[in-house]
Formats: sequence, structure tokens, C-alpha cells
Amino acid sequence: MTEGANQKTTAEEAVEVALEVNGTVTKVLVPSRWLLSDVLRHRLGLTATHVGCEQGVCGACTVLIDGVPTRSCLLFAKAAEGLAITTLEGVLDDPALQALQEAFHRHHALQCGFCTPGMLLTALAMVRQQVPAEPETIREYLSGNLCRCTGYQYIVEAVAEVLQAVDRGDPAGSPALP
Amino acid sequence: MEHSRPQWTGARVARVEDARLLSGRARYLDDLPLPGCLEVAFVRSPHAHARIRRIDPRLALAMPGVVAIWTFSDCPVRLLQSGVYPVGQPALADGEVRYVGEPVVAVFAADRYLAEDAAEAVEVDYEPLPAYVDLAAIVEHPDWAVHPPVDNRYVHREYATEGFDQAFAQAPHHLRVRFRTRRQTAVTLEPRGAAAVFDPASERLTFYASTQSPHRMRGDLAKFLGLPDHRVRVVVPEVGGGFGMKANTYPEDILVAWAALKLGRPVRWVSDRMESLLADAHARDDIHDVEVAFDGEGRIWAVADHLMADGGAYPGYPFSGAVGETGLAAQVLTGPYQIPHLKTTIDCVFSHKTPLGAYRGVWGPIASFVQEGIVDRVARAVGKDPAEVRRLQLIDQFPYRNPAGLVYDPGSYRDSMELALKAIDYDRWRDEQRRGWREGRYLGIGISVFVEPSAMAASESGSIPYEAATLRMEPSGKVTASLGLGPTGQGHETTMAQLIADALGIAVEDVVVLHGDTDSAPLGGGTGGSRSATIGGGAALTAAERLGEKVRRVAAHLLEADFEDVVLAQGQAYVRGVPSRALPLAEVARIAYTDVARLGPELEPGLEVTARYRPPLPMTFSNGTHVAVVEVDIETGLVKVLRYAVVNDCGTLINPQIVEGQIVGGVAQGVGSAFLEELAYSEDGQLTTTTLLDYRLPEATDVPPVEIQHLTTPSASLGGMKGMGEGSLIAAPAALVGAVNDALAPLEVWFSEIPITPEAIVRAVRRRAEAPR
Repeated sequence: MTEGANQKTTAEEAVEVALEVNGTVTKVLVPSRWLLSDVLRHRLGLTATHVGCEQGVCGACTVLIDGVPTRSCLLFAKAAEGLAITTLEGVLDDPALQALQEAFHRHHALQCGFCTPGMLLTALAMVRQQVPAEPETIREYLSGNLCRCTGYQYIVEAVAEVLQAVDRGDPAGSPALP
Repeated sequence: MEHSRPQWTGARVARVEDARLLSGRARYLDDLPLPGCLEVAFVRSPHAHARIRRIDPRLALAMPGVVAIWTFSDCPVRLLQSGVYPVGQPALADGEVRYVGEPVVAVFAADRYLAEDAAEAVEVDYEPLPAYVDLAAIVEHPDWAVHPPVDNRYVHREYATEGFDQAFAQAPHHLRVRFRTRRQTAVTLEPRGAAAVFDPASERLTFYASTQSPHRMRGDLAKFLGLPDHRVRVVVPEVGGGFGMKANTYPEDILVAWAALKLGRPVRWVSDRMESLLADAHARDDIHDVEVAFDGEGRIWAVADHLMADGGAYPGYPFSGAVGETGLAAQVLTGPYQIPHLKTTIDCVFSHKTPLGAYRGVWGPIASFVQEGIVDRVARAVGKDPAEVRRLQLIDQFPYRNPAGLVYDPGSYRDSMELALKAIDYDRWRDEQRRGWREGRYLGIGISVFVEPSAMAASESGSIPYEAATLRMEPSGKVTASLGLGPTGQGHETTMAQLIADALGIAVEDVVVLHGDTDSAPLGGGTGGSRSATIGGGAALTAAERLGEKVRRVAAHLLEADFEDVVLAQGQAYVRGVPSRALPLAEVARIAYTDVARLGPELEPGLEVTARYRPPLPMTFSNGTHVAVVEVDIETGLVKVLRYAVVNDCGTLINPQIVEGQIVGGVAQGVGSAFLEELAYSEDGQLTTTTLLDYRLPEATDVPPVEIQHLTTPSASLGGMKGMGEGSLIAAPAALVGAVNDALAPLEVWFSEIPITPEAIVRAVRRRAEAPR
């Protein structure tokens, strides 16, 4: 075994990053190259945001930035200063999100669950934008979030159901999960 | 025991797993808080084949946060399955690298960023050597050896039915095809990973694994680390997909565990996506050289197949995917058809590529692709409708012994096809197709009638021909169940609870199902080979029956009734026919644990059982039919799936909604297999598809809605379930490829290789157009 000569140095130079996450501004000291996804997960403990590829393809790390679904693995945390970052933890009380959770549960729109937080946030943005409840439109919007388990069909159905409720002007807050 | 009608089994019970997953509270491996944890980065081989002249870690060691840098001599373990394979992969390359991505050096540092920096700074001096990359060429060159002097053809098997040669020779017609499946891999959305913590107080190692086989992992760690198994605890947190790829034990697992012991700190490694594509088990790198003998009616008399598989540089541990793929493909090659004669030759070879392991279906997607490809070609050769030629020879007598000697238990082969054709409105699409061809539109219909050998007594997930369940009725009357399964999203916490709830006359929410902790679960094989519902379900049912018996004995004593007369239903034990003579289970359980004086001398306190279940047959066959309707754009090569119908028969359905989820998910993976996914290697052995931009997975816009119907032919196993986790991916590529070939029939274009990319379609169509007629 070869031991590190320099074991005292356990970290690199850090900078202060002020992030507005889920409505609260938090200051963290992290190296400037740290990705937003890593800061959310490993510094702020917000592990609902998952990391599936760090290549900007899979969408598991999706968060809302100023309301827009965005890949947190493609952004340095430092570059996210001044932006409003929303993770799944930040919208658990949102009636529209609860309606989506309920619909995902009933339609069996998740299996391993790894893509689910990203899917839900993308779907929440669709609900807020009042996207038409057409399967093709929904599939187009969801095409940036990969799911390896479900084949998407029941996710599309779940999202369509909530969008239809929005179309009808139903209050989005159908009963939350037990 | 009087059985009340099952309330839960067969119902569309929404999953109990969902709440934590939908709220982001589930904890996957990388979410576990492990204070003081070191992170690992691997230096991986950039060469397909090279000698390692020198490794110099000095620069890297001086870098911030670096704690240790290891080479093979620091962890001298080989993942050798002795007696089965001639070689095993070293935990880190030992003097020579044999595939791009092979781990060479392990760097342990305070965080992953620092570990990766240091890994970049490790100097490795390689002397590149010639690489053997192309499967067909390797088979043709027996002198090429990846592990000289070991025979490069590490598995060779031959088989023929008696009278094969005569039957083959006497058939009036013959055809010959080479089928090729290109390398693919499971791509779980959660990458592979492992973490380990050694506790010096208890002298026990806790190993967190994203695996399908917790107990197998424990056994492997104990073996390779030289620890007794009761000092190793494997804990499987939430797992973000497995699909067979997480059934192996990998070099990185051993490294992480060894490092936690030697460095005295928690250690974690989580694969990044490039590492996943390079170093997760690959699959499907197979060639089938097939010859078929048939008559003018389209009846197939005999099939000969030379099956070849590129196993990569080492056998996957503890099983080689190449052997799994060819060995079982050779046995199910005739699928659902009555083909009397079969001759198979199997060659598995080493190459300078990533080791082959399992990907959902293993042999099945390949065998179905070959078998349905054969039937479609025979139909075309005799000028008959492909459905008609299938009708001629679908199996309808059970049990059926196929020419490889496998015995099929009863299924619904004919009914499934007829129902699927009806569902899709087959005749109307044939009319549409003819009309389309006249207008330059290329519509095609693909039929895939499949068999899915499931619940094998010995499967890749542990070679343990049984499953076990421990059930405890707590003093509150609620039930805690613990199983040795390794679910990766299949919903076992729900389905096992459904079975248990029915057997005990309680509600699903009164059952908690634990799994994935070797400290609490009885030894089991894990999840793989579509065995959990059948074998695991059998164990859950057996344990629940026995627990029910215990509860009834206590209740009979308390109610002063005959044991035979006590019935469990609606959370109560009551005397048959006298519903007023009843005790709530909570009361029975409370007494059984805490008021044991009332039990009398005969009855044992407590309500806990462990039961094991071995199914009566070596395997049970699910079956079904997929029919795909596609439109091929011959200008762009794009394929649009217009309709997709599935008829599935997996015996008793525990939860139709979960079964349907498995089916739709498998069809989507089939779209990837048929049209998108390929691990492409350059001639010198570089993997050129190392991002998800290059290795394309199906997106929501790529996959069709799937229309599903169920048939139910129960198995002989307890509960009547058959395994069904793989059937949809077994069937789908064959249906989709068949549909494309059917669409392009007027152009006489045949695809016998997957994936069929848009470029391949455009190229084939142009080549046809330019060919002299």
C-alpha cells in the first residue's frame, strides 16, 4: 500500500457560494468547480435530486431554476448564485405536486424510483404552464427525462390526468399520499 | 384450513413502496450518510490490450486529500470461480490490461473530485499489444489467445437430436442465415456502487451494495476477504434498477470492502456514467449461424445453429454472460414451435472487451430474435402468411418436451397468438399494408410468440434453488416479513404483502416486508431470472401458512375450540360458523408473547416462523405474444411504432398493475434493443459509446403505448405464479425487427442484425435500389 504523503490537506480551496434553495438563501463553502447537483446532495443533504449520468442526458438531476426544469449536473453551484433553485423537497406541500404524486401512485408511474423526482419536477412545470393534456405533447416534454423501468406509458397517463384536471379548472389539490 | 376468498392476490393494489420514492425520501447508495467516508476513483485502462511496464503514483500521492493509492499487490484478489472457469479477473489489473475500462489503480481520497484529480496524475506506462475485438474473427482464429496458454474458446458444447442429420437432409427446402446481436448493456439509471464500513468494536464489516443478490454478495465478500460470513453484513439500500447487471460481484466491490478493512475508514465508490458504460457487465455480443430445413407447407423439420458469444476479457463473476446467453438460447431456440430436430454448437470465446454478464432476458431476446426470424423467413420462402406458418407448428400439447430436452409446463401458446392478432386487427393491417405499398408507404406487422423459462431452480442470481421467508406476528398483531430477495423496483414489498395478507386474513398495510439485509433476512438467492414471484412468493406463502397455523393453535386454545375449526379472516381468529366466538389477532398475539401463562404447557410462546420453498419443477414457462405494427420511412430510416399489442400469460397474477408495468417497461427496452442501443468498439478495441448521447436509450417519444391482455395458465408452483420479469424484453425485439422486415418485403430487404439503426435502413434500401435486378 502506498500512503498519501500529504494527508493533512483534506480539501481544496473553497469559495463562498450563496444559493437560494427552496426559498431560503444558504451560504456554503465549496470549491468553485463543484456542481450544483453535488452541493445540493452532499452539502445541503437534499438527496431527492439524483445523479444518473453527469452528461446532461438522463434528467435524473432535474431541478427547477426560476421555475424552469434544469439539469443541476451541468451547472457549477457558483453559477447558480442569484437564481431561485427548487428541488423536490421544496414543493412537497404544493397541491399540484401532491396531485402528481397521487396520480403517479395510482397509475404505477414509477418502479425503481430513481428518475421519479426529476420526472415530477418536469411534470410540475408542465402543470404550472398548463400544457395541453395531449399524449404527444406530454411525451415531448418528458423526453428529456429518461426512465429505464416503466416504458413511460403510465407516467404519461398520470401527467395527462393531472393536466386534464387543470384544464377543467379543478383545484389541483387532490388527496395527498397517506 | 378454510380459505376465505383472496382479497388481495389478483388485485391492483397500489404500491407501498411509492410514498418514499415520490417524496424523494428513499435512500439509494449514494444518499447514505457515512461520516469520514473516503471516495474512490479508478485509473482505468485506456488500452484494449497492453503490458503494464510501470505504475508511478508519486505525483498523485502528493496531491490534496489523497489517502492511499493501490495497485494489484495491495488487494491481490482474483474473482475466480474455480472449477467452472479457467481464469478470473484480478481486482486490479495484474501486469497486463485486457479491456478498455479495466480497473488498474484505485485512488482513495477525501472526496471524489480530489480522487479523480489524483487518478489523472497517476502515471502508468503501457506497452500496447494487439487486441482481439471481432467475435467472428476470434472464432476463426483458435490461435488467438487472451489468456495464453488457456484455450481461448473457454466453452465448447455440441448437441444434436437423434436422427438430426437424416431429417435435415430429407427436408425439401433449406435456408441459411447469420443472426447478429450487437453489444448492449442494462444501463440502470442509478449507477452501480458500493460502500463499506468496518466496526472494530464488533469486528464486523457492513457492506452497502446496490445488488440483486444480498446473500451471494455476502458469501463472495467472506470468501475473498477471508472473513467468516457472520462477520459480514450486506445491506442493500434502495436500488435504482438492476436488470441483471447488478447480479454480479465486481472487482470494485472487492476493492471497496478490502479498503474499508485495511484503511480503517468508511469507503464508497459510485460509478460515473462513463465507467458504467465501460465496466458494467455487457451483454448480447452473439452470432448465430443458422441452417433451417423445412417443407413446402412451411413446417420446420430441423434447425442447426452455431452459437457464438464474445465473453469479453474475463468471465463475469460468478457467471459469464456468454455462457448464460448461449447455453440457454441453445435450449429454447425452437421457442413455442414443434420443431422435432435440433443441432447446436456453442463456442464462447475471450476477447479484449468488457466481460459479458446478464441483461434482462439474457438468452431470451437473442433466442426469440433468431427463432422468429427463422419462422418469418420460412413463411416468405413458401409464400404464406407469417401467422399461418406459426399456426402450423405452435405447441398445443402439454407437458411438451422440446428437442433440447426442456419440458414445458402448460401454457396458452395458440390462444395468446390468436388473441393478440385479434387485438391488433391483423387482417385489417394486412389490407392497409398492401394499400400502403402501392402508395410507397411501408407498413409492417411483426409477430413474436415467446416462451419465457422462469423461476429456474438455479439462475444467475445465486444458484440457490429455493427462497426463504421469516414471518413474525408482532405483539400488536401486525406482521413483519423478511425475505432474501433483492428487488430493484419490482414492487416486492407490495406483492409479497398481498400474498401474506391473504394467507393470514389481514390487510396489506398490516404487513411490512423487509429485504436486502443479511442480518435480518434468511439466506436467499436474490432477484434475477424472473424467480421472485414464483419462488419468493412460494416462500412467503409457505411461511404465512405456517404462521397462520401457529396463530390458530393459540387461538384454538384460547377459544376452547378445535384447531381445525379456527379460521383467520379480517384480522380475527374465529370459530367456523360461530363468528361471535372470535378474538382479534392483536389479542392472540399479545397473549402469545406477554401473557404466556394463558398458553398452557403445550404451546410455544411467540409467533415466528422461517420457511423455505423449492418449486416442484426445475422451471416454469410463461408465454405470450407480442404484435407490432410499424411504419418505416425509407428516406430517413426512422421507424414509427403505430400499434403494439401484448397478450401475456404468467399464470396467477398477484398484482396485474405491477405485471403490466413490467411488460410496458420491457417493451420500451425492446425498442432500445431493436433500434437504438449499441456498445460500439473500434477495430483497436476502444469503446466509442461512452456517454448516453452515444449509447442512446429510448425516450418517451420513442416508445409506443402498449395494449395488454392477460391469459392465466397457472404453474404447478404454490400460488400458481410464473415468472414474468423478462418476457417482454424477450419478445419485443423479435416483434419489432419482424415488423421492419415485413414492411420492407417488397424491397427484399432483410435485417438479421440488431440494433437496426436508421442508417442501416437507409443503406440497405439504397443498396437494394442500386442492385441489378
